[in-house]
Amino acid sequence: MNTQIDSSFTPDALVVGGGIAGLQSALDLADQGLKVLVVERQASIGGHMIALSKVFPTLDCASCITTPKMSAAAHHENITILTSTEVEAIESAGGVHHVKLLQKPTYVNFDKCIGCRLCEYACDTEYPDPFEEGLGAVKAIAVPFTNAIPQKAVLNAEHCSTCGTCARVCPTDAIEFDQQPRRLTIATDAVIVASGFKLNSITVKPQYNAQRSQDIISPLTLERLLAPHGPYGRVLRPSDGKIPGSIAFVQCAGSRDESIGVPYCSRVCCMYSIKQAMLLSGALPLADITIYYMDIRAFGKGYEQFFQNAKAMGINFVRGKVARIDPLDGGDLSLHVENTEEAENPIAERRHDLVVLAQGMIPGWNPAAATPVACAADGFVATTSLTAPTATVAPGIFVAGTAAGPKDIVDTIAEAGAAAMQASQYLFQKRAEALVG
Amino acid sequence: MAMKTLTAEQKKALATLRERLGGISEEKRQAQRHLVAARKSIQKFLQAQQATVPQLAQALGMPADEALWHVTGMRKYGKVTEVGEEDDYPLYALVEIDDKPAAGH
Ligand SMILES: Cc1cc2nc3c(=O)[nH]c(=O)nc-3n(C[C@H](O)[C@H](O)[C@H](O)COP(=O)(O)OP(=O)(O)OC[C@H]3O[C@@H](n4cnc5c(N)ncnc54)[C@H](O)[C@@H]3O)c2cc1C
Repeated sequence: MNTQIDSSFTPDALVVGGGIAGLQSALDLADQGLKVLVVERQASIGGHMIALSKVFPTLDCASCITTPKMSAAAHHENITILTSTEVEAIESAGGVHHVKLLQKPTYVNFDKCIGCRLCEYACDTEYPDPFEEGLGAVKAIAVPFTNAIPQKAVLNAEHCSTCGTCARVCPTDAIEFDQQPRRLTIATDAVIVASGFKLNSITVKPQYNAQRSQDIISPLTLERLLAPHGPYGRVLRPSDGKIPGSIAFVQCAGSRDESIGVPYCSRVCCMYSIKQAMLLSGALPLADITIYYMDIRAFGKGYEQFFQNAKAMGINFVRGKVARIDPLDGGDLSLHVENTEEAENPIAERRHDLVVLAQGMIPGWNPAAATPVACAADGFVATTSLTAPTATVAPGIFVAGTAAGPKDIVDTIAEAGAAAMQASQYLFQKRAEALVG
Repeated sequence: MAMKTLTAEQKKALATLRERLGGISEEKRQAQRHLVAARKSIQKFLQAQQATVPQLAQALGMPADEALWHVTGMRKYGKVTEVGEEDDYPLYALVEIDDKPAAGH
């Protein structure tokens, strides 16, 4: 892992994004002897997967799978990683891609920082922790999270009181208050776009009133509540710390809806909601858990069995659309539901004390705005043909993972391997052609 | 924790950062004062008794979500621990810090 590079560094390939797709592609390229630069805009690699609790359909611990990949990439002699760095644009000419990067100041010299966290313990400013979806607190200077890579402190200037305490306690004089944003351009022969996804806004459907209750939460928030090192150390209701007794999952709360501009299915919501329901029933054995769904899409290997297991565990599945959610005085949430399997009385009002909205997956970055890559009508990176699912319209630029569309981890990893293979084939062919003259 | 004094360069760099941030706004100062005061009041209350988040919130006149956020931060940095449950709410207590040096040191 090397964080001090300049424009003279010319990797064979550059990977945009250090999520699981980007890391897998980088490892597969690096194992073939190719030099790879991974650029990640967050302070740690790992993407969304490092924040998950457990993963469907195996219920393996997410960080137990992700951390070794992160560590393998960070220690690989052919991989260089830049964190807190954003790919802003790509200009391609004569078969070379000039990738424009913006390196944000961390105010910490990574060559000196030993990750001892003395600065973090001494700092007396805290703000809502973005890694914990705002539920926990983090110091203005901190190692981003327990298993972050790199294990280096980063100062958030927006929250810093500029008291200087971090520099006073740092044993290696690693704090550099005068760091400035830095722009650099890297020339490379191949690029893999693995810029991932984000969820659309929790308030995208005004009828769900998420802005009026802290107990209407995002599925990523629930992942953190379920994680062993999550913000509360257990599942609690964010509004007042109550152990929830009745939890509802509202499916398709940000997908499959023309009116919000997301007509497509986000593909993983059914499965992660079933997973979360199962984990909740383990964490809160007395809780009543209901999934309100339009139809369950359990398409992958072992997924249907996973769904059947959830039903056998006593999770309630109600086939029907939730029309409205009203926060009530006293903290309960009233759900107005149409139950399509209830012939007599299809319209019902149900009460829960925590509601999870299955928000839609949308692109994490729009490369079409600043690169030769084109995006499809859904906003995700467009691929050229069914037989080349990782090729973009730009020769030498490939795509992997959720940057190309919603998908689960298994498909993301398979696609990342395919993109690496396509990229290496492209690079070796280019070299062969250059040798021939 | 050993505290060094800042060198002239560090002081200059800190001033540059402060300037780049456009100075420390009154809003930021206020937020910091509020954080320190809230943490102190929670600490003081928990010195006398264990409490759930709603009990803390009611006693200190603080919104329950804010009390939970402070307790979460204090728990993360080892100042508060969960000691049980009361009426569907976890019960929190202050962590006893043993200042006495370990035997033999
Ligand atoms: C709540 C929830 C639970 C889930 N649970 C499961 C599960 O149990 N099992 C399962 O199989 N799948 C699950 N998934 C799906 C899984 O999270 C994804 O398949 C996987 O994380 C996708 O990885 P990725 O690398 O494509 O994207 P990401 O994880 O989003 O990584 C993309 C990275 O690129 C970075 N980036 C973006 N743009 C730029 C730029 N311009 N410059 C630099 N860096 C950039 C981002 O910061 C990010 O780190 C779940 C999804 C959600 C929402």
